[in-house]
Amino acid sequence: MALSRRRFLEALGWSAAGITVAAGGVGTFVPRSVLPHRGAPTPADASAWLSLRPDGTIEILSPRAEIGQGIATAFRQIVAEETGLPFERIGFVHPRTDRLPPARATVGSDSIKDFAPLLARAAASLATTLRQLGAVRLDVPAGTVRLEDGVVVSGDGRRVPLGALAWSPLVLGAADIRGARARSFDRAISRALVGTSPEPDGLRALVTGSASLFADDMRLPGMVFGTALRAPRLGAELMAVDDGPARGVAGYLGLHRDGAFAGIVAESRGALERALLLLRASWSDRSPVTQASLDRAIDIDEALARGGLEHTPREDSIGAEGPFSISLRLDVPMAAHAAMEPRCAVARFEAGRLEVWTGSQDVTFAQRVLADELGLDAEAVVVHGCRVGGGFGGRTIPTVELEAARLARLVGRPVKVQWTRADEFREAFYRPPSSHRILARLTPDGRIRDWHHAFRSGHVIFTSAAMGPLLQRATSFVGDPGVARGAIPPYAAARIRVEFEDVRLLVHTGPWRGLGAAPNVWAIETAIDALSRAAGRDPVAFRLANLPPEQARLRRVLERVAAVADWSSRRSTDEVGYGVACGIYKDMSYAAVVAEVALDGEAPRVRHLWCAHDCGLVVNPDGVRAQIEGNLVWSVGMALHERLGLADGHVSATSYGDYTLPRYSDVPGMTVELVDEGDPPSGAGETAIVAGTAAITNAIAAATGRVVTRLPFEGAAA
Amino acid sequence: MQFTLNGAPAILPPAMADDRLLWLLRDHFALNGPKYGCGVGLCGACTVHVDGVARRACALAARDVAGRAVTTLEGLGAGRPDGLHPVQRAWIEGRVPQCGHCQNGQIMTAAALLAETPKAAAVEVAAVMDTVLCRCGTQARIREAIARAQALIAEDA
Repeated sequence: MALSRRRFLEALGWSAAGITVAAGGVGTFVPRSVLPHRGAPTPADASAWLSLRPDGTIEILSPRAEIGQGIATAFRQIVAEETGLPFERIGFVHPRTDRLPPARATVGSDSIKDFAPLLARAAASLATTLRQLGAVRLDVPAGTVRLEDGVVVSGDGRRVPLGALAWSPLVLGAADIRGARARSFDRAISRALVGTSPEPDGLRALVTGSASLFADDMRLPGMVFGTALRAPRLGAELMAVDDGPARGVAGYLGLHRDGAFAGIVAESRGALERALLLLRASWSDRSPVTQASLDRAIDIDEALARGGLEHTPREDSIGAEGPFSISLRLDVPMAAHAAMEPRCAVARFEAGRLEVWTGSQDVTFAQRVLADELGLDAEAVVVHGCRVGGGFGGRTIPTVELEAARLARLVGRPVKVQWTRADEFREAFYRPPSSHRILARLTPDGRIRDWHHAFRSGHVIFTSAAMGPLLQRATSFVGDPGVARGAIPPYAAARIRVEFEDVRLLVHTGPWRGLGAAPNVWAIETAIDALSRAAGRDPVAFRLANLPPEQARLRRVLERVAAVADWSSRRSTDEVGYGVACGIYKDMSYAAVVAEVALDGEAPRVRHLWCAHDCGLVVNPDGVRAQIEGNLVWSVGMALHERLGLADGHVSATSYGDYTLPRYSDVPGMTVELVDEGDPPSGAGETAIVAGTAAITNAIAAATGRVVTRLPFEGAAA
Repeated sequence: MQFTLNGAPAILPPAMADDRLLWLLRDHFALNGPKYGCGVGLCGACTVHVDGVARRACALAARDVAGRAVTTLEGLGAGRPDGLHPVQRAWIEGRVPQCGHCQNGQIMTAAALLAETPKAAAVEVAAVMDTVLCRCGTQARIREAIARAQALIAEDA
């Protein structure tokens, strides 16, 4: 049994270590073909990433999607660093399955940590190869030439431009890449590009509208427009549909069905919209999913009353020795990704071959799912990645791609499917709601003696949005690592118990910026703040006193933010609160945030956020700052605005009028301090959010004297 | 039906007269600047200038611009140094975009505001920019870029 569980975890790409597996059977059948690819990149993979173009430029065929995180710029910097080519002469191509080996999804803030070092070695190997080829052309020994500004120069000053070396395909060997010595992350040498902030990739195109970047910018000859029919209630099935009245719409091309799928196609988007309004569809009823049933499904106190929870990452038993210093029930609602670009895909089906253009965080998974669902060989499916108009975890599971592909096959013409904003809110998946109970006891001298955190959430990685019933059953014995992320507290305590339950909800839930770490660390840091008040200690001092020595990086960002925010001279009043929080993302990146929140108006207003952030060596400081700023704005949203609810059997939001994002006026001033004390590069895409949210709610608690126990904060009366 | 698109005369095909202006611009004229974001005028991603005023192309019918002058992001910097409007220059200096999908609306909205009120106070700027959404969290950089654009416009004047 142990072996099959391990195999199962391996199939999912997780090592057994660190994941709690409850006793129980796991089916042996795992349909690998439709699992996300989670393999780490290899030197053999990296040999496909770089090519010399006839114009003497180097093209990066990126294994990572550009989703606004700035990876295109960072990758170009690294290749320029290694090859000595000017930054402007390094090109970036989005992931595409016909030219790339299977690649892991662009998730987890790990592009720099896991991919950049290998890319640097591949580029170093390419530079060596170019020097060798140039030396042959110049008829001098390889060791005597230099590579400068895209030209190979001999000792006596003769020059060969790189374009002249691109006469035959240049293949990098895996062994050469493995053995190459890269400069990019070598702190001992002075580097030209790494650690600087050149003009971001695509900046001018975005600011002038001059280029085709996103999936909706893709236009194919003969392309038509389609949409799937949408159920009015979650889980309802299409019983009957009559498109009679729609047939009168000029440009309407018809209704198409394929099993449970139904969609319509038209010559133009205008015709599509007019036809859609005239369709008469009837849908099955089913017992409606209500907000109350969702709340009940994740009610932690109900689960605790029943007994222990399924998964126990830390399993000390906490005795019943006197009262707890704090006992907090904390609630986190569902949330939407709400990326500004609604999902969009273009599909062309020709001679048994399917091509799809899409803004996806995972073209490999999209290719596999498309092949599986349409009964094609994977080789017959090509997925071209486009720039993604906001990822945040939302573009990891193919949806609109399947709709476009089905319609393209049914109508025999290229089809673009553009999700509406309502589709985006209602047909996607969400950050699961969660509820938490944290009980803790202090020692008489203000240390944490007992820590018990129990929580219940919908799934994150083992999401029903991507897994069929079989896999769902198989994974029910394994704790969802996305739900568990960030749940182990960094603080020292004599006894620590962390337990959780991942509940299969009727609403699709999945990865959302920070995964479980965003809600879990909010809960932890809320409780730690409450403990500091119970101990009568300053919240920064209390944290520092309870962080063990091995948490040196977390201590450092905390000390740094306290200094930058002038914490020791800040005093909360009824009208202005100051709060602090800190957190770790994936054991690799560290953030501490101080928030200043004004409570003198109708709604709380975050006036300033200070953040100290340590993600090790920084390739592009401005890009990392942008990611931190984004995380802090998401913290404002999480703390004060965002909640996705259910009503009438469906997600209640259909427009931005029903789901509040932080707006221009809601965004405070931000002071960002990058800390780099010599650690290797990690990631910045979802670190500060784990500290920012609690810093804001702790500031509110400091002003009001009441712990914020529900997100989003809705005023003192709530 | 005729109108002016980015300074040049353009024909509005009768079959698209009732379509959203956004579809006319994206699908007929193959312009990538204005973006579809919400379809109901709540996010601003599709913003264009109609006779110099910021309007949401998802909420106008194509026929609404007959005889009028439409400027999209592609045409905003026409006739300016380097083909860049001061707002675009400030956006590039300030490295504002992350994913970039909303930036058309941010830039077109800010440019129309500053054309009308070059010295708009921070509260006036906020009232207008509050209507344009950004999910990546670039608002702080937008704030700085607008202040910079105001300075650039003052220098040019």
